[in-house]
Amino acid sequence: MFSKKMVMIVGVIAMMAVNIILLSVFNRRYISYYRPGRIAVSVIAPFQKASSNSIRFLRDIWHHYFLLVHIAEENDALKKALDKSFEKNIRYKEITLSNSRLRSLLNFKKTMTDPALSAEVIGTDPSPWFKTILIDKGKEDGVKRGMAVVVPKGIAGQITEVSSHYSKVLLIIDPNSAVDALVQNDRSRGIIKGDAAGALIFKYVLRKHDISVGDIVVSSGLDGVFPKGLVVGQVSGVFKPKAGIFQEVTVRPYVDFEKLEEVLVVLDQKKHFEPSR
Amino acid sequence: MKHFLNICIGLFLIVIQTTVMPHIPVFERFYDLLTPLVLYLSIFRPVREGTVMILVFGFLMDNISGGPFGLYLTAYFWLFLSVRWAITFLHVGDSFLLPFVVAVGVFMENLIFIGADAMFEQNLQISQIMINTVVVQVLWAVFTGPFFLMLFNYLHRRWDRWTKKMFAQKT
Repeated sequence: MFSKKMVMIVGVIAMMAVNIILLSVFNRRYISYYRPGRIAVSVIAPFQKASSNSIRFLRDIWHHYFLLVHIAEENDALKKALDKSFEKNIRYKEITLSNSRLRSLLNFKKTMTDPALSAEVIGTDPSPWFKTILIDKGKEDGVKRGMAVVVPKGIAGQITEVSSHYSKVLLIIDPNSAVDALVQNDRSRGIIKGDAAGALIFKYVLRKHDISVGDIVVSSGLDGVFPKGLVVGQVSGVFKPKAGIFQEVTVRPYVDFEKLEEVLVVLDQKKHFEPSR
Repeated sequence: MKHFLNICIGLFLIVIQTTVMPHIPVFERFYDLLTPLVLYLSIFRPVREGTVMILVFGFLMDNISGGPFGLYLTAYFWLFLSVRWAITFLHVGDSFLLPFVVAVGVFMENLIFIGADAMFEQNLQISQIMINTVVVQVLWAVFTGPFFLMLFNYLHRRWDRWTKKMFAQKT
């Protein structure tokens, strides 16, 4: 009745229709949570997991390799940056220290009644035999020969040479320097002189004065250079010879002359001379 | 034993397709790797062996894919039927025809997927991306499909030889 071809066509169409119906049924009721579906997933999943882990492992190795290369490059860059930072850090440290010193100098300046000019040490004496420094303030700044140079810790020296922008300071530890001083406790007077070893010798102190180690020596202000009452140093040794009218006193300066970087130049020195004051 | 080999190959392809290929951008629009296997089973293997495997693979794929259940089964089934029908009058096993067979197979599978999508989606519009995807998949199939078929053929022949040897040794 029907040809074979006709049966085939009808069969295919029927199958298509059944397929579409089944698909739409399954689309509405997803059955992957049924037992066979779970089995299928549990069959494939371990392999997928193993494969994914392997891929991840290989990818990690690959990435780590590149990461190492990258890290090596980064390390070089960081080392360079560290060097720069180290250099910067030193500079900042210097600035901080300088700031601290300047603050202390400023405080000292405030406590001082006399007008003073702050100056920076720009050089030291090339000869080890002389103890002088060069500061960055000169005639133009009002600096004159003979002016006292002080630091918060005490007396530093006096101006010996002045140029328009620079001045030379003779430090009190120089053998040519002399500062009229007195012992703070018993007011015994003498002259502070420098010696070749960089220490101070308290000269011309009468034998009758009872000076002991640890006594503080301050400027007397009678030399017309240094303001009165500035700290010079601390008595480090006393020797009373059997003969003579003077005793030998050594003084350890408070100022560390090796680390002198900023100083104050006392501008109004006449003030100290005036007996009425 | 034949089924074991087919399942191993199928599983391997599924795993590769679902775990390795997504990590390789070039294969972003690669075709379903089981399509060449289905075509191979349809062309070169007995009907019974092919039918069982198509049911197994379709079922597996349907369970791991997010599409409506039965979509892969449908696609593989119609692919299988079409190829089985085609080999009655066309020598599709010919090396020259293989690229086109795989390409047509991939195209058919895509048509079934889009058709199913159109069936369940009310306002489905064929976008440029969809067209590009189909074109790229077909092109991939033209150039790589025959190699898969040759590989499956090679593996089956090796497997046959090995199993024959094994059974010969036992007897």
